[in-house]
Amino acid sequence: MFCREQVAQLRDAQEEIRARGAELVIVGNGAPNFARAFREDFALTGPLLVDPELRAYRAARLRRGRVELLSPRLPFHAIRALRAGSRQVGVQGDPWQLGGVFVIRPGGELAYRYVSREAGDHPPVQDVLAALAPEAPALDEREGTSRARVWLGHALGRLVDPLIVPSFDRTGFRIHALRFAPEDLDVDLSGRRCLVTGANSGIGFETARALADLGADVVLLCRDRERGAEALERIRSETGSRRVSLVQLDVSDLAAVRSVGAKLAEGPVDVLVHNAGVLPDARIETRDGLELTLATHVVGPFLLTRLLEPRLRASKDARVIWVSSGGMYTRRLSLRDPNWEGRAYDGALAYAETKRAQVVLAELLAKALAGTSVVVNSMHPGWADTPAVRSSLPRFHRIARAILRTPGEGADTVVWLAACPKARSWSGRFFFDREPRRTHLVPGTRESLSDRRALWELCERLAGEKT
Amino acid sequence: MRIATRLAGIDLEDPDGARQRLGDLWRQKPAVLVFIRHFG
Repeated sequence: MFCREQVAQLRDAQEEIRARGAELVIVGNGAPNFARAFREDFALTGPLLVDPELRAYRAARLRRGRVELLSPRLPFHAIRALRAGSRQVGVQGDPWQLGGVFVIRPGGELAYRYVSREAGDHPPVQDVLAALAPEAPALDEREGTSRARVWLGHALGRLVDPLIVPSFDRTGFRIHALRFAPEDLDVDLSGRRCLVTGANSGIGFETARALADLGADVVLLCRDRERGAEALERIRSETGSRRVSLVQLDVSDLAAVRSVGAKLAEGPVDVLVHNAGVLPDARIETRDGLELTLATHVVGPFLLTRLLEPRLRASKDARVIWVSSGGMYTRRLSLRDPNWEGRAYDGALAYAETKRAQVVLAELLAKALAGTSVVVNSMHPGWADTPAVRSSLPRFHRIARAILRTPGEGADTVVWLAACPKARSWSGRFFFDREPRRTHLVPGTRESLSDRRALWELCERLAGEKT
Repeated sequence: MRIATRLAGIDLEDPDGARQRLGDLWRQKPAVLVFIRHFG
């Protein structure tokens, strides 16, 4: 009945809304047949849209949940609606979703925002009409980043940063996010071509989706064509973007990297995200004779970067991002038997060693590309609840599940590094939650200059770039 | 990210199945965008 009450009020104000040069648009979350009946009941003449997947509701940050519907104010709203003659005729849509009202001007300026706190909580129509006056001020959408909030974010961050928990976990993200500037990602990436490896799930998927949402041309580079196609469809559906495509690529297969790299280099490349990762239980050798972790995390991405380098250099603002791991803090760069031919295999160790190598490689590439338009950085996402963590680290996942970040929170810094204009101020740095961080926390993990040179030479040799 | 930016790329259907990109709704003139709870 609340929806009917609200729509009746707005329909009555429709002429006034149009007289102010605006259009009334109603979005509901039920099925089209319910929307048709609703349109007829109210004789609506303006746009009425259906959003059964709640995509726009989520994008508008509207509330949803059982608790939100249980408010002591609810009976008062019900009495008001009944007095106005509205009657509930059934719930045709998501019963837990709440609504809201926005006035958006050409150019995307927000003139009014009302987010319902409970069922029956609607803004006065007069407030909406007032926001349509030409002299009505635009809302400051940055109000969430007050100085006090940023200060609190830095202060709490200093307290938690020396720790792992809370820092790598979801509490750490929420603390660090206090100082995030929302306008950092208020960017239009139209015309920028972004390649993301391992984009079918977890952090890669969230990165690709966010970049598509910002208007970028996104290429999903996925090992499994079927899972990649599912991700592609989901991203297209959830963002409404048609500028997303899929290319099959197993980055551990160097012949495939050469062939796909050559094809990718036929178009522009502005952003390259090295996200694909593996954590095998036993030593697996690729067809190139490389241990799988070394091939996937280090040699394959190195080769792909070198193949795409001319295209990256041609971009006015190119960014290469290596998705490393906080686990790399525990290991020193190791070049003694990187292919695990003479030592008992340990998947977790191989993972941490190659993640350390990624951080060093990002620094070396940044140095090699200094003075060009290409910036190269690495990052770690914290502990995120991704399919990879669930399958590769089931014990850790079971214990830590309640405190893990969402994949979107894990991907936040990748997206920020790829999209935020000020993020290109750095090259060769290691980031966590949108801030450059130290790369060594554990004594004895600092590598020597000769080790760094040896890593570069190893990559060149194994990638077949130099013999 | 601004609300308008987040919403702009989403396209939804009207009850007759025609698709509408939300960003086009405020391209020329202001839009009063009302999200109702459901069609009840």
